[in-house]
Amino acid sequence: MVGYIAQQLVNGLILGSMYALVAIGFTMIYGIIRLINFAHGDIVMIGAFVTLGLVISGQIPFPVIIILVILAGALMGIIIERAAFRPMRGAPQVTGFITSLAVSILLQNLGILLLTAQPRNFFCPDYLQTVFNLGSVSLRTIDLAIVVIAVVLMVFLVLLVRFTRLGMAMRATAENLKVALLMGININRIIMLAFAIGSGLAGVAGMMWGARYGQIDPLLGFVPGLKAFVAAVIGGVGSIPGAMLGGYLLGFAEVLFVGLLPPIYSSYRDAFVFIILILILLVLPTGLLGRKMEEGV
Amino acid sequence: MKRGLFGIFTILAIVGCFAIASLAAEPIKLGALYNLTGGMSSIDAPALNGAKLKAKLINEAGGLLGGRMLEVIGINTKTDQKATAIGAKKALAMGVVAGLGYGDTTFVMASAPLFQRKGVPFVTSGATHPEIPKWVGDCMFMTPFGDDDQSFAIADYTYNKLKARKVVVWTDNSMDFTKALSKFFKQRFTELGGKLILEDFFMMGDKDFSAQIARLKAASPKADAVFISAIPNEAGLTVKQIREAGLTLPIVSGDGFDTELVTTVPGPRLANDVYFSTHTYREDTRPEVVAFIKAYEKEYGRPPENAFAPLGFDAVGLIADAIKRAGTTEKSALRKALAATRGYKAVTGEISYTRPSGVPMKAVSIIGVKNAKYKVLDTWFPKQ
Repeated sequence: MVGYIAQQLVNGLILGSMYALVAIGFTMIYGIIRLINFAHGDIVMIGAFVTLGLVISGQIPFPVIIILVILAGALMGIIIERAAFRPMRGAPQVTGFITSLAVSILLQNLGILLLTAQPRNFFCPDYLQTVFNLGSVSLRTIDLAIVVIAVVLMVFLVLLVRFTRLGMAMRATAENLKVALLMGININRIIMLAFAIGSGLAGVAGMMWGARYGQIDPLLGFVPGLKAFVAAVIGGVGSIPGAMLGGYLLGFAEVLFVGLLPPIYSSYRDAFVFIILILILLVLPTGLLGRKMEEGV
Repeated sequence: MKRGLFGIFTILAIVGCFAIASLAAEPIKLGALYNLTGGMSSIDAPALNGAKLKAKLINEAGGLLGGRMLEVIGINTKTDQKATAIGAKKALAMGVVAGLGYGDTTFVMASAPLFQRKGVPFVTSGATHPEIPKWVGDCMFMTPFGDDDQSFAIADYTYNKLKARKVVVWTDNSMDFTKALSKFFKQRFTELGGKLILEDFFMMGDKDFSAQIARLKAASPKADAVFISAIPNEAGLTVKQIREAGLTLPIVSGDGFDTELVTTVPGPRLANDVYFSTHTYREDTRPEVVAFIKAYEKEYGRPPENAFAPLGFDAVGLIADAIKRAGTTEKSALRKALAATRGYKAVTGEISYTRPSGVPMKAVSIIGVKNAKYKVLDTWFPKQ
């Protein structure tokens, strides 16, 4: 029984790592320009397909693939920001929200057009699939890599935001965009950077998603996008540590819900996730780590 | 004034030409409703390819009813039940003489009743719930066998040939098809004397089965086999994740596993010991099968992806055969002709509508997967 619970906890940790990575980007973009970006999940899809392309194209070592996928995701984020969101800057919040839905549908259909809607298998090098056992917990190399990469990237991000000039500028922009502009901060650059970092992390999450589940299709971004949204809201939208916490909480909650309750409830996993969301918002309307913000809604 | 009159005449002349042209070779329209995107796409897209291929072959051989062409109008309903009902209405509004489509019961039940209400026959190419004809009515026809037959076939195989006595059953709780498949499997397997030790559930679209796998691993007593009632999207995912967790027990299922994803997603190292019951055509030497595979490869440049391609082909074949016998496309005559189908030599086996349930009696293939290769291991015949 102990082994069983340990295995479930590890499963939750892996799932949570992926949710957390996607949720961070979501929350960063919201924190800085108050945009609920529904196209964020589709960057996960792009990351997965870019990884597949790189893996098929030849003997590129795994660490290089990771870096290339981050860059591809970041580039995609920058393109989307320039093309779709910058022209909407200053428009009411709902305009940005609808624009993001449009971008999401565009990306999905572009994917269907170029890659067909058929799910395809995701090649993963054998050395990433080696199974090893820690006590009664069985893990693959890729599972371990997912957790380690996620933690490393998150630590790196927190250091960047807390202790660099760039991070300070980002926090200032998030605090008050107009005042930051008056203080001489190049907010266009900061916003672009937020998109680049967030989308880069989502791209890596796409690589992990593909490698862990082995099957990808152009619509795969919808679920991680939605779950990341939930994770970000649980943690408090706009708060980076909140998004991480929310992501891990969600991962654990999903797996433990299936793992510890009688099997007949297993298929209601997603309903359960949204019940948690509602309960948390009832008690803490700004999420676990969110700050009260004055907003005219 | 003169110019105005001239204009009217010109328009009349053009309209007249079109009217005459359309009378001469008015095509016979069939509405083909399929989910070309979403979770069902890997079985529905090949089915539509098969349907279009049959129509093309018929047209190349001179069409039907003295030279009228058969036109298969494909409608994508996106694995969405709302889009399914809209698609059915669209097809009916276009004046189709019959509808066909779907490899899944849920979507048939969202569309076929609309055809029934208008008295237009609907032939499902791949939906297998044995009570569909009863639920929908006399305009509903099935190309494949029923779920009871395919579940009984794999249950018999699991008990008699794989010698499994204790099984775990996983069910996709979101679909009529998967629930029915599990129900019939459990019924037959326990009748044979086997024991069900654990049941687990998931939803269509789930990607992460780690929690269910941990429970399967911890099950005591140990299971001899796991029956997974899933559609293609989850077929490869579950096999891959179960094998990666170090479990080597046989995985058994029905025709939802008849997809290349079962071998490509886990890869040759992990795609082992998977057995499923499905429609007969793989490695079959009947002339219909050989001719179909050749025609499919020529048209699409690859062999048929799975059994749903020949089923789509057969659905159009059934309708064309009935139109020929009826001598008209009038809906009630066509319906009667379809119901009178006896011994139609379909690619997926002979079809006769002799059972009171309306489900055709057809043979079921048992296919085994070893090192990512498919092999027909057994053929199962239903009792009347």
